[in-house]
Amino acid sequence: MEEWLYIQTEVYPALLKGFWVSIELIFPSAICGLVVGIMVGVLRVYGSRPVMAAANAYVAIFRGIPLVVQLFIWYFGLPYIGIYMSPFTAAVLGFSLCSGAYHSEYIRGALLSIKRGQMLAAQSLGFHKVQMIFSIILPQAIRLALPGCGNEIIYLIKYSSLAYMITCIELTGQGKILASNSFRYTEIFLIIGACYLVMTSVASYILGRVEDRLRLPGFEHRRI
Amino acid sequence: MAAPILRIENISKRYGKKDVLQGASLEVNKGDLKILIGPSGAGKSTLLQCINFLVKPDEGRIWLDEQEVHYAHKRDLYAYRQKVGMIFQDFNLFDHLNALENVRIGMVKVKGMGKAEAGERAVMELERVGLGDHMQKYPAQLSGGQKQRVSIARALAMDPKVMLLDEPTSALDPELVGEVHAVIRDLGNNGMTMIMATHQIGFASSLASEIIFMEDGRILERGTPDKIFNHAENARTREFCSKITELYGER
Repeated sequence: MEEWLYIQTEVYPALLKGFWVSIELIFPSAICGLVVGIMVGVLRVYGSRPVMAAANAYVAIFRGIPLVVQLFIWYFGLPYIGIYMSPFTAAVLGFSLCSGAYHSEYIRGALLSIKRGQMLAAQSLGFHKVQMIFSIILPQAIRLALPGCGNEIIYLIKYSSLAYMITCIELTGQGKILASNSFRYTEIFLIIGACYLVMTSVASYILGRVEDRLRLPGFEHRRI
Repeated sequence: MAAPILRIENISKRYGKKDVLQGASLEVNKGDLKILIGPSGAGKSTLLQCINFLVKPDEGRIWLDEQEVHYAHKRDLYAYRQKVGMIFQDFNLFDHLNALENVRIGMVKVKGMGKAEAGERAVMELERVGLGDHMQKYPAQLSGGQKQRVSIARALAMDPKVMLLDEPTSALDPELVGEVHAVIRDLGNNGMTMIMATHQIGFASSLASEIIFMEDGRILERGTPDKIFNHAENARTREFCSKITELYGER
């Protein structure tokens, strides 16, 4: 009975609050990350040499430094040069830029796999480069990149748990507080693990539906 | 005699040490159908791609309607390409768009037409090439001949003054060649100016206003179909023509 009361009055409200903070972190980060990834991916393939080099450097840095360290730099480091951010903003910024670096790699691979003939045809109709990229190449490339990008979004859901390290108390952060107060680490983190599993399952279901919606006739995958 | 609609002077292209085109010149009058023949590697494709600057020539000049094309100026280049339609051997339809959208997208994005107006025109062009019943199909759902006809409709929708056809039937099953030839013949009868590379010399000789024989990046000989196929001056031309007649027969 006491257990039940503890869950009802302490665990449930705290985790629910944390859950919503997690959702608030994940959505903008996923969207910004994808937009950044698409832009950077395009620049890495079609940009001029210096732009390409800059985009590659961005990916090298944000993919090469541990995310926790990046978050620390955004939140604890930037105030030294007079830039202050709320924990939430710093977390979303950190997640978006890190996620964007990974997305850009999937987008880049997909862009490179579009046949040259598609570009020749667009050019022969009088398309200029930007029109060609956005109305011919990207719509095809994004379909190819979708499984990879979906993977990255699932991954983002899980690494959003790092936000509590810079005092943005989301699901994992709430769990940590509960657990250290009650010493019920196992129970609480089992619940939290289940919450993440639900989030990632829902996300992967939605991503699957999106893939189905965008699938082109003639490109269905067949079981052999 | 009216001025040529398209004039090409001394086009050269080099890839590394290999000269792919060595000073090709051509004058095309309105309504002409020039046929490029020659062995593979002769430079037929490169010449066609140079004509609309999909390949940038190292040397040479091009005039359309007596106006020189300054392809370094992007705006001039894009405007020029709208007036020169290109048909590719492997169709190059946009895979993510259905037949109607394939034909419409150029008008909407490049010419800035409204979707409805462009859609009507696209329907008209698709009906003209006999695909009125296949407008909602995606490229992967169309046969080769149908794909090539969509690509012709796509080019025609831009109101080109000249059409360049790069072996339009080479990737097709023999059975499907006829339907594409019928469309091209129809275009010719309606006065479209065309330059076409092909090995289908039966078709070529019945329609061409001039046959141009190319080898090693040069134009070796040119003349009426009768002259090239029956009384060629150059020994190489005669050899090539007899070989290709054997292969593609039905002359």
